[in-house]
Amino acid sequence: MGTNKKGAGQSLLASQTRERIIESEASWVAAMLLFFATVYSLLNFDVLWVFFGITALSLYVLPIVTLRDPFKALPWEMTVLLAAPLIMHISGGSEYLNDHFSWWEDFTSVAFAFSIATLGFLFTVELQMYTTVKMNRPFAIFFVVMFTLAVAGFWQIGEFIGDHVYGTHYQGDNTDAMMTLVWNLVGGIVMGFVYDLYLRALSERRRTTLGFIHLYEVPKW
Amino acid sequence: MVERLQLMSRGMQAGMVGVAVAGVLTHNLTWVPAAVVSLFVSIIPALARRDLGIVLPVELNFWIVLALFLHVVGGFSGFYDHVPGWDHVTHMASASLVAALGFVSVVTIDKYVDSIDLPRPFLAFFIVMFTMAFGVLWEFMEFANDQLAGTHLQYGLTDTMVDLMFDGFGGFFVAGLGSYYLMHTTHDHFVTGLKVDRARLRELRKKIP
Repeated sequence: MGTNKKGAGQSLLASQTRERIIESEASWVAAMLLFFATVYSLLNFDVLWVFFGITALSLYVLPIVTLRDPFKALPWEMTVLLAAPLIMHISGGSEYLNDHFSWWEDFTSVAFAFSIATLGFLFTVELQMYTTVKMNRPFAIFFVVMFTLAVAGFWQIGEFIGDHVYGTHYQGDNTDAMMTLVWNLVGGIVMGFVYDLYLRALSERRRTTLGFIHLYEVPKW
Repeated sequence: MVERLQLMSRGMQAGMVGVAVAGVLTHNLTWVPAAVVSLFVSIIPALARRDLGIVLPVELNFWIVLALFLHVVGGFSGFYDHVPGWDHVTHMASASLVAALGFVSVVTIDKYVDSIDLPRPFLAFFIVMFTMAFGVLWEFMEFANDQLAGTHLQYGLTDTMVDLMFDGFGGFFVAGLGSYYLMHTTHDHFVTGLKVDRARLRELRKKIP
């Protein structure tokens, strides 16, 4: 699996199971959405989200590029989680929901935390793949939660500065900012546990079908 | 140097006792609980040394007392309200203290837990993130206190955000300082100075894989 060199595209495709092709396609579609949303943010000088999009896309393409295998795409559910908050952020419907439902903003905060926790998880995984960093499971889970909360903190500072520079008022008052952070923490803790369970619960069959997870099976992690 | 730092630590602890006594005598009780708790926290390193055999570096010990002292004396003297930026000074002192304690913990984990290996650049990154995460938790504490007890620890959005910025500065400062320190000394020298291996924690350590 994945031993095909360049130019063997046809046999590379033929060697994949139908299930794996569909899963990879779902992942690519989500990644394309993420890519175009990032470009859109760039055109709007939405600095924070451009930074977010570039980081997420880099972590996404790194295994694909280094292993020269387009089927080493992230699992589609992780890619969807990565892309979701940015798409919520730029979609016009979100503003409508924000005005009409009080829970929408908290919901987007949780989605944001899910996405950041996914980034944190990818960091733990790819740091172990490409550097000499070694972690065990409890440390990795702690890192995911801590990373989410820290990014949320830096993000609030970024929004605060952005509001001052552009004269906007996205951040709201102190209570709004604090509640966003609270929901970010909730999302981070949930995802810390979810990723622990995710790695335990993933079936052997899906592991082999996806062909990605062996990348994540760093010994003694 | 070492004796001078220890002497200054003792002096600041005396100052905190002074705040507690003066508060009781003048019926100005607001800062008495904070003074007592801080005093207790400031003797934890000494207790850890006596009961657990862990020796914290004198500089770190001094730093702990300094951060507590600035908080208590500043509160009692009304510096929080009257000295502009006092809030941010204490924030940066306590944030860099948290960063330093995080640094000591994570370097110790790096050395003694076999399944964890953290190179220096990652340690610096970790310290920055750890400090910011802790800073956000601290703001949660203030926010909850304001909501539940009706205090005014958070003065408003700008104040909270500037607090977080100073937490960030504290984290970057200690990450830089720590990296510099580890470049000029070995991990081993630093960690063995803590004497964790000879600490009476063997039962605890057996449980860590």
